[in-house]
Amino acid sequence: MIKNLHPFVLFIYFFYVIFTAVFTFNPLFLLPALFGALLLLIKLDGVKIIKVSFAYVIIFILIALSNPLFSHNGATVLFFINDSRITLESLVYGICAALMIVSALVWFNCFNKVFDSEKIMYLLGRIFPKLALVFSMTLNFIPRMITEFKSIYNAQKSVKQSRIKRYTGSFSAVITRSMENSIVTSDSMNARGYMLKGKTFFHRYKFSAVDAIYLCVFTVLFALSIVWKSDVTFYPVIQMNLTSLNYISVIAFTVLTVLPFVLEVKEALKWKLFLSKI
Amino acid sequence: MEVISVKNLSFRYNKAESFALRDIEFGVNTGDFMLLIGESGSGKTTLLKMLKKELAPYGDFVGEIFFNGNKIDELSAKDSSSKIGFIMQDPDSQIVTDKVYSELAFGLENLGVERELIRAKVSEFASYFGLEDKFESKTNTLSGGEKQLLNLASVMVMNPEVLILDEPTSMLDPISALEFVTCLKRLNDDLGITIIIAEHHLSQIYELADKVVYIENGEIKANDTPAKVSDLLKDKQIEYTLPAPVRIYHKLCGEGDVPLTVKDGKKFLFKNNNYYVNNSIKEIKPNPVIKVKDLWFRYERQSSDILKGFNLTVNKGEIYALVGSNGSGKTTVVNVISKHFKPYRGKLKYSGKLAFLPQNPRDLFVKDKLEVDFKSINNSYKELCKKFEITNLLSHHPYDLSGGEIQRAAIVKILLSSPDILLLDEPTKGLDAFAKKELGEFLRSVDLPILLVTHDLEFAAAYSDRCGLLFDGAVTSENRSKEFFLGNNFYTTPVVKMTKDMSYGAVTVEDIIAES
Repeated sequence: MIKNLHPFVLFIYFFYVIFTAVFTFNPLFLLPALFGALLLLIKLDGVKIIKVSFAYVIIFILIALSNPLFSHNGATVLFFINDSRITLESLVYGICAALMIVSALVWFNCFNKVFDSEKIMYLLGRIFPKLALVFSMTLNFIPRMITEFKSIYNAQKSVKQSRIKRYTGSFSAVITRSMENSIVTSDSMNARGYMLKGKTFFHRYKFSAVDAIYLCVFTVLFALSIVWKSDVTFYPVIQMNLTSLNYISVIAFTVLTVLPFVLEVKEALKWKLFLSKI
Repeated sequence: MEVISVKNLSFRYNKAESFALRDIEFGVNTGDFMLLIGESGSGKTTLLKMLKKELAPYGDFVGEIFFNGNKIDELSAKDSSSKIGFIMQDPDSQIVTDKVYSELAFGLENLGVERELIRAKVSEFASYFGLEDKFESKTNTLSGGEKQLLNLASVMVMNPEVLILDEPTSMLDPISALEFVTCLKRLNDDLGITIIIAEHHLSQIYELADKVVYIENGEIKANDTPAKVSDLLKDKQIEYTLPAPVRIYHKLCGEGDVPLTVKDGKKFLFKNNNYYVNNSIKEIKPNPVIKVKDLWFRYERQSSDILKGFNLTVNKGEIYALVGSNGSGKTTVVNVISKHFKPYRGKLKYSGKLAFLPQNPRDLFVKDKLEVDFKSINNSYKELCKKFEITNLLSHHPYDLSGGEIQRAAIVKILLSSPDILLLDEPTKGLDAFAKKELGEFLRSVDLPILLVTHDLEFAAAYSDRCGLLFDGAVTSENRSKEFFLGNNFYTTPVVKMTKDMSYGAVTVEDIIAES
């Protein structure tokens, strides 16, 4: 499972993919980027993806259409709207921009699904241990505040009051109470040696040989896709000169984007096979 | 050897006129289980905090505190934070991080322990404290009892020699409280950890202590074995907090060994029969004000039913107590009857207006002063305040009041909207025995039909007229309170357990009357 990879390896993977997709700005890279991201999201999220994908389609259309409406560069005129030219080049540019943004959004969505608070805390904690603690405290504090707000708000129901008054009253009460509670929390931290110097950072990850292999594979694929990347010019006419080396880079990047999906499917199949043997 | 010894300690808070602690002198031996008792405001918390360097309050300080023969303020910061563990009252606020495992690791991280060692220790303690299944859970999904156990475990993981606890069970329900206290006793027996605990729920812990220190107005008035100290507490307000056998012993002017447990209490009563039992029962005429018939409820479509054909009638002029253990659906009953949730089948009717007192009475107050809060509802609050003797509290901030005071103020606040029925959710939570007694008498004087949902069997036995047992989403047994408790074997009061085989009819200590 991709979730079981070391957080650092995972983070590097997402960085490679999003970086390449955004900075090459080439449909040959953007299409596999979007394809791989959608595959992974389907695997992670299942049927629920239909709800989100609706939003993605709208964003895609908005961006793809807005560019030709506002930018009239390009040699190939398709038609005129109110005396302004709509060109093929600017439409393709718009589609590429839409591909880039939507694929980045889907990748970030996958990132969100894979990176739970523990992984984020680990990455943060390696560099800024205090920030990681604040993050963890916030994750504890906010749900508690919401529960308290709800119970105060419900308690006020038995007293006749306008809804706005009830909201503001409950809100200020919750703030006062949180401040009172934070005194206890700070006592509890000090009692357990928070003031001491030379803290260590506890986490439950181990960088295994498998992680090392994946890190190497990701890095090689990333290097291949970057070194021989092909450039596109959109204006005045679309131009892309492709050599065989460029094809290698596109293939390398495609492999990189679908790799997590393949891994997930492989594990699922293995599991099924394993079960059938029992 | 004395692990902690306090010599001639006096303490005054900054700018305070009087001393909070005066000439305190005591010692605790390694492996002792010491119980510190005293009324609220007697200086228990101040004294305990003085024993932990990091939490010591600011002020004028005379005297000395020794830890293993060294002065406590000369202790290194590392030793001081790891060797002396401190646990406070509020289970929620003591938790720092969002996950159980990271909370357990917090102290060790601060001590700079290697990661691999933290891993080993954290897993060891999680399994000792039964937190294995919760290891990856978010801390805010735990129950109150589990939270307090987590707090205990995350202190214990630092390997302390002394554990100081400041009323750790006062926010827990009786069953979780018993679990917590049992766990403390196990730590004391298994590992020889020295325990210093301040508590006002004495019924479970009193017999476990090796010695009891009684503090009054900042001075130690008694420091001896539980049996001997109990004699000194006779006729004081704090006597109400003592276990039932001790109180019966006092009441009957017993001689010989003081009975601390139900077993010893039973033996004592066999030998002494200079008492009779008040077995009168108050008659209630059926005149229903709340009528609940065949109620079914579930939280979500797919989830299982929480209430399964729940029936209930509350009559005019009675206090009805619905008792039940965790997970029997008590909270759901409260939420459905107060109409926060709607049942999918069944009838719920009440005549008149129902007012609801939440589990945490502080939730009712949103202003800085009680008076402002009362004024916002009804200008005729002064009469009610006078009647229920809270006029002197009017200018206080609601959060500065003690548990008993805020509970009374909260009831006054809901009475201001002139309800016809009261619904109380766990009204005795966080109250000491004397405050409970006051609350019970207060509820009797309110003179409205009251439905209270509670864990607290002794309170239900003493102040309710009828009692129902909620089990698996329905009321499985129901009777007049006295008969209800007399009919049960386990789910009953200690007095019933002690007297059942000798004389029928006693449910509370008050039911046992000495022959003159």
